[in-house]
Amino acid sequence: MKSFFLAVDIFLCLMVFLCLYRVVFGPTLGDRIVATGAIGTKTLTILVIIGFLYGRVEMFLDISLAYALLNFVGTLAAAKYFEAFEAKGEF
Amino acid sequence: MIRQKYEDVIAQTVVRIMVPFVQLYALYVLAHGHYSPGGGFQGGVILAAALALIFLVYGYEDALDRLGLGTAGRLCSIGVLIYAGIGFICLLLGGNFLDYSRLAPLLQVTAPRARSLGILGIETGVALAVMAAMYSIIMDIVSSETGRDKGNNATEENKTGEICSGGE
Repeated sequence: MKSFFLAVDIFLCLMVFLCLYRVVFGPTLGDRIVATGAIGTKTLTILVIIGFLYGRVEMFLDISLAYALLNFVGTLAAAKYFEAFEAKGEF
Repeated sequence: MIRQKYEDVIAQTVVRIMVPFVQLYALYVLAHGHYSPGGGFQGGVILAAALALIFLVYGYEDALDRLGLGTAGRLCSIGVLIYAGIGFICLLLGGNFLDYSRLAPLLQVTAPRARSLGILGIETGVALAVMAAMYSIIMDIVSSETGRDKGNNATEENKTGEICSGGE
């Protein structure tokens, strides 16, 4: 079971790099915001799976909850900038 | 730019429902600092994140109505006072700085219990200070970005004017 979790974890880490490509080279601001949110969601899952691997889920669950919260704040702030740029017609 | 009134029913409703739970989670992180990751600083940052959510969705003025910058500065100082005050009480009771076991006769409990309570006390102070400091940093960045600080801008214009006239 542990090797299965490890494989899932490594696979998710590789997927993060695909999202990172969208963040760096994304043609529009919307791509970057959505890709950042996707990276945040994947990091959350990776953290919980690491908790399973180490046998301390409750500890890593706290970290991932705080991470999800800060990720939400960041996405909201980015979306707000996006709206302001769109209102001025330049993005 | 970022301080325009943000009229979005979905975001406002979500944030209004979320903020109490975020603050409750911050108190959990603060109180469980002994057993799980977290503690004073992390709890304070999550409390500040709740305030940042309010500012992002309801706007600059509304956030200032809830917690003014003067109050934030006072809370920051009170947090440091709680931290240093507990430390100096231990010093007065004959121990080292932040030697919580000396608080045992004062709190009428055993020494290990006094250590636990002392750590909770200083972490509460740290959380207050961090929350207020983070909040005022966010608000200061936004106000300088939008040129909201009219007084500072005026003095800067005067200074540049003086420099220009001196050059002439």
